[in-house]
Amino acid sequence: MGSIDCAALSVRQINESIRHLIDAGERKIALRNPGARHNLAVAILTDVAITIDGPVGYYAGGMSDGIRLTIHGSAGWGVAECLLSGTVVVDGNAGNGAAASIRGGTVVVRGDVAARAGVAMKGGLLVIGGSCGYMTGFMMQRGRIIVCGDAGDALADSMYEGVVYVGGDIAALGSDAVISEASASELAEVRATLAHHGVKGPTAFRKVVSGRKLWNYDKKDMETWKAAF
Amino acid sequence: MCGIAGFFDKSAASGAGTGATLLRMLTALGCRGPDSAGIALWGQGDDGLIVRVKLGDGGDREARWREVIRRARRVARVRASKVQGSLLRLVVAKTEPADLAAAIERVAPDVEVVSMGQRLEIVKQVGAPAGLDAAFAVSQWTGTHGLGHTRLSTESRVDLSHSQPFWAHGTPDLAVVHNGHICNYHRLRRIYEQEGVRFYTENDSEIIGLYLARQLAAGRTLGEALRTSVNELDGSFSYLAATADAFGFAKDRFSLKPLIVAESEGCVAIANEEVALQAALGGRYQAREAAAGATGLWELPGRASARRARRGPRAA
Repeated sequence: MGSIDCAALSVRQINESIRHLIDAGERKIALRNPGARHNLAVAILTDVAITIDGPVGYYAGGMSDGIRLTIHGSAGWGVAECLLSGTVVVDGNAGNGAAASIRGGTVVVRGDVAARAGVAMKGGLLVIGGSCGYMTGFMMQRGRIIVCGDAGDALADSMYEGVVYVGGDIAALGSDAVISEASASELAEVRATLAHHGVKGPTAFRKVVSGRKLWNYDKKDMETWKAAF
Repeated sequence: MCGIAGFFDKSAASGAGTGATLLRMLTALGCRGPDSAGIALWGQGDDGLIVRVKLGDGGDREARWREVIRRARRVARVRASKVQGSLLRLVVAKTEPADLAAAIERVAPDVEVVSMGQRLEIVKQVGAPAGLDAAFAVSQWTGTHGLGHTRLSTESRVDLSHSQPFWAHGTPDLAVVHNGHICNYHRLRRIYEQEGVRFYTENDSEIIGLYLARQLAAGRTLGEALRTSVNELDGSFSYLAATADAFGFAKDRFSLKPLIVAESEGCVAIANEEVALQAALGGRYQAREAAAGATGLWELPGRASARRARRGPRAA
């Protein structure tokens, strides 16, 4: 296993060291003393297991394709942002915009996430072991979000497609987000997904999808638009 | 951007090395705000008032500080005085704060009382956090709690007066650090000015302390003032505020600025990047991004020991 002590290195040096190890054929890399710094293990385009032993700052694992990243600590804003494929697991809590704009892959946050998790998701899976904050799933376009705890205000506001499962209370649904009936097989799949990632969740979930009212222009809104422009 | 940091020792042990802790936090946040740095610290205290005065750039400095002391003596007994960096520190016997500030600021237009209180002291200047230690030895300061700020100016000028923390001019012991923009600043400023409030800068952050001061003067607690501010201040903000016996934060309803809170049995550390929490607490804490519209308040023992934090009003 390759190991990198981040303490004495700049962020650029840390990311270069990861690439050097990958180029040398290493497929298991451990980062020690990350010190909550930003942009660690970003844009990794290889199937490689990276473990970060401590908290990270913004955008950890972002823009990666194939990474298997485990963060033994909390994560700041935009963890796994724009992930294409692979898995990013955060043991602690995550800040705003977790898994923002991901196109594929799986992001698991075992603790709570703050505002705008899964914003503009275009695919993939976001699993939240705890609760999620304001505007989770805002404008999501595809993919799944599973929230084991409570959801904050404006859940799934203006979502196009995709689905959000919530185990706890929903403070308020966002614009054009509606509760839909989840089939038994769907719920079984949610439970299996949680079990696969070792996340303890409730047995019952509510399903939130797009009401599709915002999909099309409504003539009734004409006057509003005229006033706006 | 701007870096903000706060540290609160729940045990109320005023001997704690709060200055060194805040300096480490600020150094970690240095890249968020490279133009100015400042620290507010609530120390051992005095039964009179501790005053920090900006001497300004004009005129003969020595003549200036002698004149400041002479004017202060007309209002109160001056127990101690010392020039440090670009600030004069005075300890005066109990007196009417407004009279004292007015007497001092009459020396020259660019002479400003930067902080006043029984426990509060603010030092700030243009430059990196390291400069604060060189000029004011803040790493040696002790106190129960403190605030720190590194500034990246976006709209108003870069000088000592425009840097943070901001003392809420006129209200002893109340100070604020802010990251973000207050968009209804000009509207509120016009209202406040019509009511006789003086503004010392063109920095929108200055209005937060003045807003809180007005709420406190109307009989509200700091906790209540933080909660109402979430709706009455418009814009993007994460800010920290403290008085001699309470310490808290508020975050805007859209969570546009980061604010990470870490609480342990003995202390609370808050900053807008976790690098600062690492600097303050090492590895022994759980970090949590504050929710949209959230406020939090901690009070020193003797007032109320339990944490009082709650979510702000619903934003949807």
